[in-house]
Amino acid sequence: MRYLEFAVAAALCVVGVSHAQEALAGKKQSDSDKALYTVVDGYKVDADTLAGFRAWRAAACDRCHGANQEGMVGPSLIESLKVITKEEFIAVVRDGRLDRGMQSFGNDPRVMDNIDHLYAYLKGRSDGAITRARVQAMD
Amino acid sequence: MKISERFIKVGSPLLGALLLALPGLAPANADLQKKMSDPKNWAAQAGDFFNQRYSKLEQINAGNVGKMQVAWTFSTGVLRGHEGSPLVVDGMMFVHTPFPNKVFALDLDTQKIVWRYEPRQDPSVIAQMCCDTVYRGLAYAEGKIFLQQADSTLVALNAKDGNVLWSVVNGDPKLGAVNTNAPHVFGDKVITGISGGEWGVRGFLAAYDINTGKLAWKGYSTGPDNEMLIDPEKTVTWTDGELKPVGKDSSLKTWEGDQWKIGGGTTWGWFSWDPELNLVYYGTGNPSTWNPSQRPGDNRWSMTIFARDLNTGVAKWVYQMTPHDEWDYDGVNEMILADIPVKGKPTKALVHFDRNGFAYTLDRATGALLVAEKYDPTVNWATHVDMKTGRPAVDPTFSTSKFTNPQHGPDVNVKGICPAALGTKDQQPASFDPKTGLFYVPTNHVCMDYEPFEVDYVAGQPYVGATLSMYPTPNSHGGMGNFITWDAGEGKIVQSKAEKFSVWSGSLNTAGGISCYGTLEGYLKCVDAKDITKELYSFKTPSGIIGNVFTYEHKGKQYIGVYSGIGGWAGIGMAAGLEADTDGLGAVGGYRELQDYTQLGGSLTIFALPD
Repeated sequence: MRYLEFAVAAALCVVGVSHAQEALAGKKQSDSDKALYTVVDGYKVDADTLAGFRAWRAAACDRCHGANQEGMVGPSLIESLKVITKEEFIAVVRDGRLDRGMQSFGNDPRVMDNIDHLYAYLKGRSDGAITRARVQAMD
Repeated sequence: MKISERFIKVGSPLLGALLLALPGLAPANADLQKKMSDPKNWAAQAGDFFNQRYSKLEQINAGNVGKMQVAWTFSTGVLRGHEGSPLVVDGMMFVHTPFPNKVFALDLDTQKIVWRYEPRQDPSVIAQMCCDTVYRGLAYAEGKIFLQQADSTLVALNAKDGNVLWSVVNGDPKLGAVNTNAPHVFGDKVITGISGGEWGVRGFLAAYDINTGKLAWKGYSTGPDNEMLIDPEKTVTWTDGELKPVGKDSSLKTWEGDQWKIGGGTTWGWFSWDPELNLVYYGTGNPSTWNPSQRPGDNRWSMTIFARDLNTGVAKWVYQMTPHDEWDYDGVNEMILADIPVKGKPTKALVHFDRNGFAYTLDRATGALLVAEKYDPTVNWATHVDMKTGRPAVDPTFSTSKFTNPQHGPDVNVKGICPAALGTKDQQPASFDPKTGLFYVPTNHVCMDYEPFEVDYVAGQPYVGATLSMYPTPNSHGGMGNFITWDAGEGKIVQSKAEKFSVWSGSLNTAGGISCYGTLEGYLKCVDAKDITKELYSFKTPSGIIGNVFTYEHKGKQYIGVYSGIGGWAGIGMAAGLEADTDGLGAVGGYRELQDYTQLGGSLTIFALPD
């Protein structure tokens, strides 16, 4: 069995944001060698990304976004995370989009204490690097 | 609240005296009773107090239903799932919608909108509703329409002009306490429940005065005896083959610490009432969380059939169907009251098709357990119900709790559990046909994998604690539903008609010898009540049907109607949510196919025979 290791850099998809933000994102990237997430075999992930999965599960995001993030009542996060920035993602999770049925998780420590990890997990799913919604700890 | 405070001070001896004094004094609502007894009306969600969903109209019958045509249609202007049905009272039709819970009063002579009402609600409530923004309908009594808003506000409207007569707040939506149930008028009270079992809401049934909106009583599902309106000495339950008092602290003893405060047992189903016994019947939902290893004990009185006195709210009897639930088998499905022979003996029966896959027949006067049998032979989480203890014999293979199976528990994915969490039947109500003596039951034929996990309670946030995947019952006909007939006196399936998708629509039987129901693809179907495999009529409405079929007569003509508007737990939850590497690729294809048949969109379709 051949193990493929994905070490995906924090390649944020920056769409329609200002140059200042773009530069900030780029600076961040070069400042840190740390990958956004690390995944082996498509479903074995680093501890932080696993914490992101646990936040996803605890907050029951699957009830609207689908067990595999493919979308149900809420939009597909596989698609959305190809379009929105990390900052936009955090704002939506924190404040909600009440008119569209997205609740605010701003007062939910299960989510907000793990927001970076949650983003990393979902970004890995959106990138196609994490191939299963249900991930496990790396050995 | 007022009543329960009084109970604390007064104690049970006086309570007993109160109970003795009150039966027989029930102020029967003569107006509603009269409207119901005229089959031209459809004056309550089930057509009657007994939840029978049977009409005496017979103009449309087994011989001519094949010729039925669409008479007129009405768009509600709202997307998402449309459950329940309109009401018809004296030539007016009252139409409701899911959130934002609009109400339209239509003149049946012209189909003109006479008045409309749209409450102002904080849209944040949408996110607090677990399983789509459904609403199961209005109630009527004495010139008033009762609207139970999603944000828990209960409103009485003047049926003539839609003006607000009174309104009362029933729960706190910020904590996830919302409403999806239809209010029900029994006597001089309007009864409502609460939703939010997936937010750790503590369930209750509440009775308000129809004229003032004043709270008459409120009985919780869990907690101290006085707050549940349970009399430890007089409230009985089936124990060792007989009815015995539940005893002191019957709920508190079955929870760890204060867990009962966030313990669920919500009450979002259909209620019924026997005016002679003056008892209100309903079921309570799942204990919170869905991770049973976090809540040792039986978790009483979640998953329970309650019989409460309409005047006082005091529970006469209780029966817990699924102690220490491990599968989200809410006990909220409707209680159908019918006088039928049970094992040869004429019985005032209560018949209940539970989410857990067992159909129960009880003596509705005493609470005695008479029959408990599977109404889908593939149900596997329990082998049978022990008729002496009344408890299910759980197969540890399909247990998700470490207390039942030490090898299982958090982060262990238990596969192949039947039925799935949405049950062999969910809220979609069954019908009873007094002519055949049978029950006509819309069912799900779906199994699941269930992986519980540890979850912390955060007020106002989801409190679920399990990940599920659902798929059609393996090694069966490949479909996800059946429409069946059931002999509740013997506990046997009489006939079963396979359906491609779950039958998530309330059925209707009529004196014309037909039984009608809707399908998730959007077909309204009518079958021969004597042989349900004979499909006599089928028509594709604009969207999938999760509403209930109803009938009425106007100007000498019988009409049959149903909402379409796909959604609800079945409609949205099942069209997605599976990945290709779960069991049965064909099964996955089966679910996705729903998208090929239907799209969102709320409308009402009314059928009649051609002139």
